[in-house]
This record gives sequence, C-alpha cells and structure tokens, in this order.
Amino acid sequence: MKTEPVNLTDGLLRSVTKPARYVGGEWNSVTKPLSSDLVRFAFCFPDVYEIGMSNSALQILYYLLNQRPDTWCERSFAPWTDMEQLMREKNIPLYSLESRTPLSQFDWVGFTLQYELSFTNVLNMLDLAGIPQLTLERSAEDPLVVAGGPVAFNLEPMADFFDLAVIGEAEETIEELIDLYHQHCPNGRTSTWDRSAFLRQAAAIPGVYVPSLYAVVYKTDQTVEAIRPLDGTVPPIIQKRIVKNLNTMKRPDQLIVPNTEIVHDRMSLELFRGCPRGCRFCQAGMIYRPVRETGVDTLSKQAAALEQSTGYDECGLLSLSTSDYSQLGSLTDRLLEQFSGHHTSLSLPSLRLDSFTLELMQKGSSTRKSGLTFAPEAGTQRLRDVINKNITEQDLLEAMTLAFKGGWNGAKLYFMLGLPTETDMDAQAIADLTDSIETLYRGLPRSDRPRRLELTVSTAVFIPKPHTPFQWAPQELPEVVNKRQQFLKERFRNRPVKYHYHDWHSSLIEALLARGDRRLGAVIRDVWAKGQTFDAWDDHFKLDNWLDSLEKFGLDVSFYAHRERAEAEIMPWDHIDCGVTSAFLYREYQKALKAKTTPQCRIACSQCGATTFEGGICFGD
Amino acid sequence: MVTNWRIRYSRKGPAVWLAHLDQMRTFERSIRRAGIPVAYSGGFNPRPQLAFALPIGVGIATEDDYVDVKIDDQQNYEPDVNELWCSELNRSLPEGLEVQASRLVTDDKKNSLMSRVTAARYRLSSLELAKKVDRFQTRFNEDTWMVEKQTREKRSLQDIKPLILDIQTEGKHLVELLVCAGSQKNLRPELFLQLLKMHQFLSEEDMLETSITRTELLFAPQHMKVADTNIRDWVSGLDV
Repeated sequence: MKTEPVNLTDGLLRSVTKPARYVGGEWNSVTKPLSSDLVRFAFCFPDVYEIGMSNSALQILYYLLNQRPDTWCERSFAPWTDMEQLMREKNIPLYSLESRTPLSQFDWVGFTLQYELSFTNVLNMLDLAGIPQLTLERSAEDPLVVAGGPVAFNLEPMADFFDLAVIGEAEETIEELIDLYHQHCPNGRTSTWDRSAFLRQAAAIPGVYVPSLYAVVYKTDQTVEAIRPLDGTVPPIIQKRIVKNLNTMKRPDQLIVPNTEIVHDRMSLELFRGCPRGCRFCQAGMIYRPVRETGVDTLSKQAAALEQSTGYDECGLLSLSTSDYSQLGSLTDRLLEQFSGHHTSLSLPSLRLDSFTLELMQKGSSTRKSGLTFAPEAGTQRLRDVINKNITEQDLLEAMTLAFKGGWNGAKLYFMLGLPTETDMDAQAIADLTDSIETLYRGLPRSDRPRRLELTVSTAVFIPKPHTPFQWAPQELPEVVNKRQQFLKERFRNRPVKYHYHDWHSSLIEALLARGDRRLGAVIRDVWAKGQTFDAWDDHFKLDNWLDSLEKFGLDVSFYAHRERAEAEIMPWDHIDCGVTSAFLYREYQKALKAKTTPQCRIACSQCGATTFEGGICFGD
Repeated sequence: MVTNWRIRYSRKGPAVWLAHLDQMRTFERSIRRAGIPVAYSGGFNPRPQLAFALPIGVGIATEDDYVDVKIDDQQNYEPDVNELWCSELNRSLPEGLEVQASRLVTDDKKNSLMSRVTAARYRLSSLELAKKVDRFQTRFNEDTWMVEKQTREKRSLQDIKPLILDIQTEGKHLVELLVCAGSQKNLRPELFLQLLKMHQFLSEEDMLETSITRTELLFAPQHMKVADTNIRDWVSGLDV
C-alpha cells in the first residue's frame, strides 16, 4: 500500500483559522514504524478538533488500540469550512493527524456518533477522504467504515453508509474485530481479500451490527413491517456489549494533551457508567445500564498517573450524575489530598446540590471557583413526575439558600420545553420557579447574600429518543414550543435573568433523525450534496434544505417527529437490544402519562431488564 | 531573593502553528510534567509564573527565544540542577519545541526580559524572494514605506521604514531582516511582506508561502532603558 503523506504548505496553514488543529504533534500522540502487518485505524470525530478531542471515548479507544503492537490508531476531525474549501481546491484528501496519511489508505475508518446532527459531517468526511459513501459502492480496496457511540443504538438513518457498527461499550468488541481482521489480512489488505466473508463473521461477534445483512420491509402506512436478517446465520437481535468490571479494565494512564485549547481541557476520571435515576427523557440513562462503579483506589491511581503524564492542572469527574457515586466523599477527600501542593484543582460537574455537595464544591474550588448548574428540567412538580426527575422546588430553594450563603450569586437552570403532557401552565411555572429564587434572595439579610443576583435560564426543546420511555411520544409542534419560548422571553424581560432558548428548527431535524429509519439515508445524502455540513452549529443549519430533501423523497417530517407511535409498532431500531426491555419502557411511558414516578435503582429494582448483563448495581456491586 | 530559570528555546514543525496563549499553556504543562518547581501566582486562579521575552506569531518558527520560569524557592533543589532540568524539560516538551540552553538567574523585576527586548532578526525565505527584495529596494527608495495594517477593529496606514533596521539578501531566495521589537516599537515581519505585495513585487500566494524564522533576539544591556541604548550596546543570547 502506498503511504504518501499529504503536503500541508505554510501558505495553506496561514490561510485558515486555528491551524494548530490540523497539524498534530501533541504530547502523548502516538506514532509507530510502518510495516505491512500493522493494522491502521483512523478514529474520526465528525466535528471540529476542539469538540472531538474533548470526547473521552476517543481517548480511551486511542489508548487501547495503540497498546496493541499490531495496531496503529490515528485521529481525524472535520475540517472547518475554510480548511475544507482549500483542501478541495488543492486536492488534498482528508488525512490523519499523526502521519498525515489519506484516510482512504487505512484498514479501518471509525466514526463515533455522539449526536444525530453530525450525520452530514460523516458523509462530508468520507467524501473528502475519497472513500465511497455507500457501503454498496465500497470494494476490497476501501477501508472498513465502522460506527460507534450512543447514536449507533439507532443507526438506521445512516445504515447505508456504515459497513458495521459496534453497539454499546466498544472496549472489548473493537479488539475482537481487529483480531478477526488480522486473520483475514495477516499482511495488510490486498485487492482480493474477501470483505463480505469478513463482515459475515464480524456479525457473529456479540455487539457487532452489520446493517447490510438485514432487510427492512415497510407497511403501506409507512411504519416498519419487519427487520429481517438475510439468512439463518445472521443474528436477528444484536445485544449491546458492556464492560462488566470497570476496575479490571485497561484504563488510560495517559491522554493526548492538545496544543491548542479544547472544550474540556482537563483530565477526567470516569466514576461510573450508567445512571440509577431513570429520567424518562434520557437516552444515556437507559442505554448505559446497568450502573457500574469504579473503585476509589483505581481512580486515585489513575489520577496520579494522568497528572504525571499529562501535566494537566485540572481534574474533572465524569459520570451521568456525580452525586450518585456511592463513595464520592472518600474519593474527593483522597483526590484533594493527593493534589494538594501541586496546584491541581478538582472540578465537579453534574451535582445535585445539598449541604454535603456544597461543602464539597467549596473544597473543590479552593483553587478555582466554578459556577452552579441545576437541571430541574420542568417547571411544575407534576411535569417533573412525568419525566421522573426527582427534584422538588423545596430541594432547589434549599440548595439556593446554601449557595447564596456560600458566596454564589446565582446559578444556571436548565429546562426542557415540549415535554409530553406539558401545558402552557407548565411553561409559566418555569418563570414562577425563577421568581421564587429571586424572592428567596431578596428575603435574605444583605450580609447573607452576595451582591447582584444573576440567574441564567436555558430551555432546550424536548426530543424523543429511541430506547427511552418516550420513544412512542410525539415531539411537541413547533408553533407550540415557539409560543412558550416567546412567553418566557417576555416574562424574563427586566428581571435579573438571562434567558437562552434553543431554536426549534434543528431540534425538529434531530427528532426526525433520532427515530428515523433507513429511508432517511437518501435524504441525509441529498442534504449533504447541497453543501450542508455542521448541522449542529446554529449558523450552519438550514431547515429548508432538510424539508426540501424530505419532500423530494416523498417523506414527511411529522410522520417521524410528531406522531404518537402505537405500542405494537415495530420501531426501526427494534433489532438493537440495549438490555432494557420494550415492556419496561412502555410501562414507564404509561406511568409517565399518569405522572407516576419510579424509584431509582438503589432504592428498588423496577425490572428494566439490565440484569441480563449479570453485573453492576443489579447484583449489589 | 527570587530565582528565575532562564530558557533559550527553539520551535519548528507542528509547534510553529501555536498561538502565543497555546504555547504558554504548552510550556506550563511541560514544566509540570518535568517536575520543575515553578512558582505560582496567587489569587483565585493561580498560574505557573512564566515570562516570555516576546510573543511569537502563529506560523513563525524561532531559533532564539527566551522564557523566564520563576522558581519556587520554598522547594528544595540542588544548586547545580540546571542541566538536569534542561534534559527533563526536553523530555517533556511536545514535538517541535526544544530547550537550547538554560541557566539560573536572579530575578530583577525592573530588568525583565520583556522590558529589555530591543530588536529581532528574522530569516524570510520563498522562491526568489531575495531577488524580489533587491528589486524593490532599488526601485522603491522612498522615505516612507506605508503599509495597510489590519487589526481586528480597523484598518490603518503605518510607516514601517523606521522600524526596519537592516535588510540583507543572500542568494536568490533568502532575506534577513533586522527590525525593532519589544513593547515600545515592534514590527511584525509579515508587514514587510505585505509591503512587497502591495507594490506588486510579491504575489499573495508567495507571501503566504514565505517561511519566517526568528533567528535572534537582541536585548538592551541590564539597567539601561531600551531608548538609551544604541545598536553597539545590544546583547544577544544568554548574555542577557
């Protein structure tokens, strides 16, 4: 295989914004001597460097793959539009940062799919790389294009473009795939290697999904009639993989340290996977079950190794709900002790605030003071019960009292609009809740509160996601969401509240893609062909391009986004099994509609189905 | 008494594309990895105390730049630690950044490196650049060299001639520029290329493709103000 690196001239790099993101050379990035039996893997993140480099899956898999002497994992990100334009003008193909090798020459090109609005970027990166976008068009000389990440739990809209996908946690699956590939191509891939035989064998590995081995049939009402494996050798259901024990898994003792600032520019420790809470809107809370914790000793050792190998002076704690980590007190005590004297600070995200956590934040911010965030998600207790978000108004006011006394002059509050069963009253209650914080503040003696109250309220538009209790629910109509946004905007005028809301346009398309089927592949490609990329960036997103393309292919956004689905309807992702059963999800949906809550995993087991993985919280670990 | 560890460093390769703040952060982290007992600032957000002699623009390489690392004298270290630190730091810097020499000096706030930078020498190189510069100088021998300067907010005209102290050409492609540098008078070498482009001695593409390397930083002698020195007094290298 020829491996001419691409030539990035000074003139090219001087003509683009932030050239540091295109040249590599970061501390702990890995280079290896080339040999014919080296498996070359390009880990791609379909967004800019600063976002992709903040992704912890990238850091973990990069480390794991490069630990293998037979594999070299490199990175590639979506070039910003100025760089893309110049690359196209000068015929520079998309390349890896480490060796500047064109992606078309890799054995594997892997994309992590973290959000649906990155789909057009995936197609654009494949095109820039000169790799055929459609699985059908790829030959033995093309790389295997593999997907992973949460969005792979419904890969159907992108099924035409991926040769295979890794469902669930990829740590073990990816190694098994590389081993299998090695058997097929012991000396690198040749133009005659049997790609389809490989894909069939790959499909037999638990957690591996090969979309081309399944046929989807639709009913006349457009819903799915059946998803059928092509023959008896193909598994009808693909169950996700998990890492059962987080203490014994290989975890990175080094991270790539970027040369230029990225979004999460710090080391982070993964406290646990999964979430015990069971918020009904939250896909992560369902697909990552069961909860599995990492022990304090393991994390403390990892922190020491990372601090030494990266030079980072900030350590974050990563999980879906930090305060649910069972040993948070002893972990933070241990970390603060081992960081003391090094000017290394601890930052604590995703906290529910009570006196314990506030005390912790004050300890954590002994070197750096971070802002407070709360996510009540809904304005009324009724609606919070619908979504199973276990926060009361009293919790919030008590937390704010402590915060004001502790020197914080405000907080950021996150809500969603358009939740199932939401009425105008529920939206108004968001403003009322904010008012009661203001009243609380004004009622405190001046000595007990900081000067100048500052509250930030953000509302996102609710998007029903697959594998959640709301997968059957319709998304609220744009005009209703818009009305409630405008109401809040007026209501917050001349108040000490900054109100941010997310435009419904891109939320509509996110809803379309999140629960979409294979017919959307043609739509995505058509939108990309119009030159649209970076849909996740508001100033790049154009709704009309999407609506026009949908019309062109005879599809209707409302069918996907605004329709309540029947219990018996076959979902496009029903062949993907995340452990949590449909029966549980539907029970949860029905309870939601009656505003009945479900206790979290630590209090009572609600028979969600995750016990099938035989580990974690379900078994008292 | 406060001790500074004075480093002379070079940058090339991918490191050339770091902005000043990026490079500062990169040095901070490298110094932490190397275990050098750097002193931290006080306040809410303590930072390692590093003082660069002169920020360097994105896309410019250097063979001769300086940074003072303030040492935390509370921590114990051997007096002859310089060589050890130098090799530890070189083992901890990312590709393209390298310590060329270093020594321990006594910190003197009134005589910081930054306040003493006087001039900088740059090597510019692109296809037939030397020939183009020779032609420019013979044909365009005006008293003022006005260049349009584009900052974020506004455009303005600036006469760059008084800031250029010497121009030497070598062969067909190489040009050496000696220019004023520092906080009082400073010329970014790109503006000289801009001048050539404005008068059509250099195409836009050749301007962008011209490689720029800072080859020497010159300082005013200790305890003399930049304004009071003349060229004969300037010192370079670790003599500062």
